Amino acid sequence: MTTMMEHPAPTSGHSPKVGIIRHLNIFTAFALGALTAIVVWRLSLSLLPADSESAPLFTREDKITLLSMIGWFVGFMTGIGALVAPFRWVMGKDLSHEENMYLAGKDMGVKRYFRYTTDHKVVGIQYLVITMTIFGMGGILAMLIRANLGTPEGGWIHPQAYNSIVGTHGIIMIVGTIIMVTGPFGNYIMPIMIGARDMAFPRLNALSFWLIVAAAIPLIWGQFIGGISTGWSAYNPLAGQAPLGMNGYIMFICIFALSTMVAGANITTTVVRMRARGMTWNRTPIFIYGVVASVALALPAFPVFFLSQVMSGMDRALGTSFYDTARGGSGWLYENLFWIMGHPEVYVILIPAVAALMEMAPVFTRRPLFSFNVAVMGIAGICGLSVLVWAHHMYMSGWAPLLNAPFMLTTELISIPTGMLFLVLVGTLWRGRLWMTVPTMSIFALLWNFMIGGVTGIYLSDVPADAFLHGSMYVTAHFHYTLMGAGLTGAIASLVYWFPKMTGRMLDTKLSWASFWLVQIGFNVAFIGMFFVGLQGQPRRVEAYAAIFNKGNLVTSIGAATIMTGMLILLAAVIGSWRNGVKASMNPWHAKSLEWTVPNPVPLENFETLPVVTEDVYGYGRKSS
Amino acid sequence: MPDTNTPYFTGQWWKRKDVKRHAVLWVILTALIGYFGSEIQTRAMGTPASEAMENVIHLIRIFTWAAAPVAGFVAAIAIGALMGKRHHGDFPPPEAEHNISNSPRTNAVWIVISALLCLFALVAGLIALQKDNASLLDAKAIHVNVVGQQWAWNYDYPGTAGVRSNVLHLPVDRPVVFHVTSKDVKHSFWVVQMGIKIDANPGVFTESAVTPNKIGTFDIRCAELCGLLHAYMQNKVIVESQSDYETWLASQPDTGKTTWTEEKAAA
Amino acid sequence: MSVDTHANPHHEHPDVVGSRNRLGVILLIVADVAFALSMVFTFFYLKAQNVNEMWLPAATEENPAITPVSSSGAWRITAIAAVGLIAHFMALRNVRSGNQSGLKTFGLMAFIASLFATVLQIQQFGTVPFTFYSGAYASCWYLFAVMNTVHLLLTAFISLGNWNRSRLGLYKADHWHVDIVNVWWVWMVVSSLLGAFSLSFA
Repeated sequence: MTTMMEHPAPTSGHSPKVGIIRHLNIFTAFALGALTAIVVWRLSLSLLPADSESAPLFTREDKITLLSMIGWFVGFMTGIGALVAPFRWVMGKDLSHEENMYLAGKDMGVKRYFRYTTDHKVVGIQYLVITMTIFGMGGILAMLIRANLGTPEGGWIHPQAYNSIVGTHGIIMIVGTIIMVTGPFGNYIMPIMIGARDMAFPRLNALSFWLIVAAAIPLIWGQFIGGISTGWSAYNPLAGQAPLGMNGYIMFICIFALSTMVAGANITTTVVRMRARGMTWNRTPIFIYGVVASVALALPAFPVFFLSQVMSGMDRALGTSFYDTARGGSGWLYENLFWIMGHPEVYVILIPAVAALMEMAPVFTRRPLFSFNVAVMGIAGICGLSVLVWAHHMYMSGWAPLLNAPFMLTTELISIPTGMLFLVLVGTLWRGRLWMTVPTMSIFALLWNFMIGGVTGIYLSDVPADAFLHGSMYVTAHFHYTLMGAGLTGAIASLVYWFPKMTGRMLDTKLSWASFWLVQIGFNVAFIGMFFVGLQGQPRRVEAYAAIFNKGNLVTSIGAATIMTGMLILLAAVIGSWRNGVKASMNPWHAKSLEWTVPNPVPLENFETLPVVTEDVYGYGRKSS
Repeated sequence: MPDTNTPYFTGQWWKRKDVKRHAVLWVILTALIGYFGSEIQTRAMGTPASEAMENVIHLIRIFTWAAAPVAGFVAAIAIGALMGKRHHGDFPPPEAEHNISNSPRTNAVWIVISALLCLFALVAGLIALQKDNASLLDAKAIHVNVVGQQWAWNYDYPGTAGVRSNVLHLPVDRPVVFHVTSKDVKHSFWVVQMGIKIDANPGVFTESAVTPNKIGTFDIRCAELCGLLHAYMQNKVIVESQSDYETWLASQPDTGKTTWTEEKAAA
Repeated sequence: MSVDTHANPHHEHPDVVGSRNRLGVILLIVADVAFALSMVFTFFYLKAQNVNEMWLPAATEENPAITPVSSSGAWRITAIAAVGLIAHFMALRNVRSGNQSGLKTFGLMAFIASLFATVLQIQQFGTVPFTFYSGAYASCWYLFAVMNTVHLLLTAFISLGNWNRSRLGLYKADHWHVDIVNVWWVWMVVSSLLGAFSLSFA
């Protein structure tokens, strides 16, 4: 089985009848997408009538931009081959077995990473690469932000461009962190971990990835037609008066929301229906719970965001008035819709990262996970409460002052299930045998960072304290502590932990240690500095600030540069080790979950015979008499 | 570290050596976290210029002290684990000498304590919130209309025909209610040293109240991204004695522009 | 042993594959439910706020006052969609009892109903006495109409496929596709109902 993967055997005699699928790949996708966009652009430019006299806004340019972007999207998805299977279904000519195997990338070598490949392992690697690309771009934007904040009186970047950099940094980092665990590891590792041969819907899996690629282009496009000058939250009515680049944001969110829905339905179904025999819910690894909780939470959350952007687009392009107060709209409507997505979304990011570290904790302390049930309760509790807390982002908006107290209650309640996650990690550390690896230290880093992020969250959840802290750098530092300090730490630990399975090679130890310390120290320096200026009264998203914030900003910039250095070292380690790292054994961490029972590289269908689970995945430690 | 002859899990747990060591660590860490966490933060916040801000500082102080035992506990166990035997190398250490996978008592204690802390935070917050809300209804209060626009604040004073300024003047020790609105996009009216903030929304008025209790000049900043020059949308509030305030108000010309209407001033 | 035989979905029991697909479709519908409910929220929020009295703008010099269009159009489309649902359900009952010709007939009827409803919905855009800029109610009306059009187009696509596949005799061995299409039909009618219901309160 393994040899077939490495040396594609010449297919004996008959070439599989795979029709048009054979000819579609990333190049046809980009070509067709660009072509459609240009054609739609030309056509709409010459055919669309001028704005009518009575129109309240100038909407023709927005129409043209949005139509061209939709043209790109349709062209790209057609070009990659996403529409083949649905049309074949309508025609009654379902994909044959050969075609399905061709789509899965059988015997295809490197090329399979550049097409609509359905194998979950290919999708996982694709996700890993796009996540790293997103973090790279977001990191560069962060460096630009810090460079501009080098002096108090505003820097060398034009304020409009600066606002756009802040907004783009925000939204792509949010998207990057949303997919950073469930994308690479949820796709590559999760099906093996539950003992399945692939995802429930392999084509939807490929779809979810290529939708992200399709979404990225409008966002980049938007940068050249005015940028996203509204911050990542794109509040209306500010977004209504923003330049054409805003349409890029709108398209990006709509397509990304589709991707999340598809991935959510796919991953949830896979876990619910395709776990190996004997893998009862009690024996299902906690990482699986984390992944499912994350995508299942995103499933109802992102459509709301989708809708908010559809209406934003309609306001811009058609002149409707969902958010325009002068004509009956309401900015509070946007804020509500945005945060109904926005708060569950932070747990979409956080839960799988924490769950991944919970998964690693028993492996590296060589003892069972402490209180598995409490971990599940914590995850479930966070999911349940997270849909009831959105208005704590709106304490100061004045939309409903009477609701501040109830939302303060729900927000503070969420600290109880969050505390349970701490209990599980701390309990697992207690009297374990520490095996000092980067994932092990990441558990400590997570405890530290998440504790700071969590406690500052309690200040922010308190309405009177939020009256001071809201909208300040304190908030920025707080969510960086949770999403980056806790979330990204978990994601990097996952990368180190599962790298041997995904690439067959060990990640360079020295470089990953160096990266770990630089990132963690740099991170704490940067964001402690940011807490400080927030407390002194520096607002968020400013390109100039009063002289008293000078020191704190300098500290933050130094920290940010340190993080960047650490991340570059990690990138070097990943590239270097992937190409010629030490070959990994099948189970380098001596772990007990199923993904370590398959050989490297993982064969196309993962398992020759499907495994049957008979014991606890966390059965470490000597039986005490 | 227990030796292999005497089993670890017998006898009373609080008499074990490592438990005692962790307890000491916990107490020390709690004190350190509580002290430095609250001191550093409250110092950064500077001198308060109103009771509302004093409340904020007080809240941050008590929340930090309430969270310190939890943070100290987590830190004590983490440090304890790191101080124990650490294993390096490509192969795993021997498995731990126990296989405890649950402890209902610990879980229950943990959950009850976190629920109590949560309740405490809620009650403390509600009390402070109540104070803030009560000040909105103060009959002695003066009312100021605050109008945000890209990228400036204007203040309209009632009672006097058409007085408008772009630096806020307030008398000391007298409650003031701000009625905040915006002409274009969302802004957020933040009187930094007084610890209050309320969004300025187009088309509607939102309210916030405060009683300045120090004479001096303080900062007002916009705390919601509002476009190109958001960073520069800031000015000052001058808090002065009642007589200075009245002198200043009388000296102001009628700009002919005000957001106060007859019935609103009456109401 | 060949690498891939056992992974071939054709080798799994149709009931297993069917129930898996059914769950997947239900989950996607959950996402759509969130979308639709947010639309209803938007409608009632803007109506309740009535910001600047512009939910239904009063008459000005240039424009007459905006009055809500009768929701009967939306109810009519919902009724036709419901007929389509019933037809599809009949098709499902027929295939369950092994009646292939009944499946074909009712499948065709469901397809025609979805097509008819789509045409009616698109036609409605031209008949309303307001434009996009006629206040918050008009905006919401367009939003509901666009959402329903997208749903109906999808339904037409799916029921065309369903009918075509039954015509080709693909549902002789197993018919879980028909079950799942039924799930979609139910939700489509419910979402249309939600829209018509909301619009009745303008």
